Amino acid sequence: MIIATLALVGLYVAMYLWLYKIGIVGSLSCKIGSCEKVNTSPWAVLFGVPVAFWGVLYYIALFSSACLCTLERFAADRRAALLLVVTTGWGVLFSGWLTYLELAIIHAVCMYCVISAILVVIMFALSVLELRVTRTTAG
Amino acid sequence: MATANKNASRKQFTFLLVAIGIVGAAALGYVATRPKGGGEAIDPNMPLGTAQGFVMGSPDAPVKIVEFADFECPACGQFATLTEPDVRARLIKTGQVQYTFYVFPLPMHKNTWPASNAAYCAGEQGKFWEMHDRLFYTQDLWNTLATSSPDKKMKGYAADLALDMGKFDACYDSKRNYPNIKASGAEAEQRGIDETPSFIIGGKKYSGSQPYDKIKQLVDEELAKLGKADPAKKGAK
Repeated sequence: MIIATLALVGLYVAMYLWLYKIGIVGSLSCKIGSCEKVNTSPWAVLFGVPVAFWGVLYYIALFSSACLCTLERFAADRRAALLLVVTTGWGVLFSGWLTYLELAIIHAVCMYCVISAILVVIMFALSVLELRVTRTTAG
Repeated sequence: MATANKNASRKQFTFLLVAIGIVGAAALGYVATRPKGGGEAIDPNMPLGTAQGFVMGSPDAPVKIVEFADFECPACGQFATLTEPDVRARLIKTGQVQYTFYVFPLPMHKNTWPASNAAYCAGEQGKFWEMHDRLFYTQDLWNTLATSSPDKKMKGYAADLALDMGKFDACYDSKRNYPNIKASGAEAEQRGIDETPSFIIGGKKYSGSQPYDKIKQLVDEELAKLGKADPAKKGAK
């Protein structure tokens, strides 16, 4: 449940950045870091699509998976817990790569990217815990 | 008992998700629909005018620096207020560098067009750089987050700079420089500029706000290539 809640927060963060990228939001409200520098850099686009849009798709998938896992029929299903670990683990790897780009290549940090990275790390930790609990229960 | 607890927990979870959903959607709706400054749609079919760079420094200066910047871009503002004063005092005024500024309006900055318009119109009266400085130093007072109608601010700056307001208003209101501003942006794109501010020094592109030491180092390298010693070697750095 907590993972689904955090995924929903992440979805809104990604949507905000995406709306900025496509010109619907005028300026980013960025009190810490250099959000504009990061989001207008060439690295903010992946395979011709804004990275923020990939983020929106990712969080929709994660939110849906997490909601499914809250259903009673999947509550003790180890495969469902494993799916969450893989999904959030992918998010951690991708966020790690983005953070590397920010620090080493772009030399600027986007507050919203940091928030997203923190969210996926927390969700990954929670899903690993969930998997262990499921394994114990099943065992 | 356990089932009752589970049901209560599920209800709380659903309530929390709905609450976050509503708050998030409202926040996004607000930022997406709030007035975005300028209020003017830039015609994509507007013809290209002339790409005009605004020049500072001696034409005989051995090193040329070209900057592409957006008046509303925070990194450009940071460069203009923190680094550019040193560049002017130590490199341009000493005759080592001729500096050319091109406007590169980015699509996400809705107030950059009125600001560029104000700078061009001030330029028609020989005060481009004064308006350039005023715009960058007061960026947070007229940018998209600050106002949805920057025209009053722009005209106020023109009055502060003692411009002929009749001529300025005629120029500003007619938007006759918009095709030139568009051409300036096209010039940037043609040169492969994809970030603001960007600089061309010695034929090479440098993206992002550069510190003074880096610019000084690049200028020194260019001077060395030309076999010209830095005349301000004693105290330039």
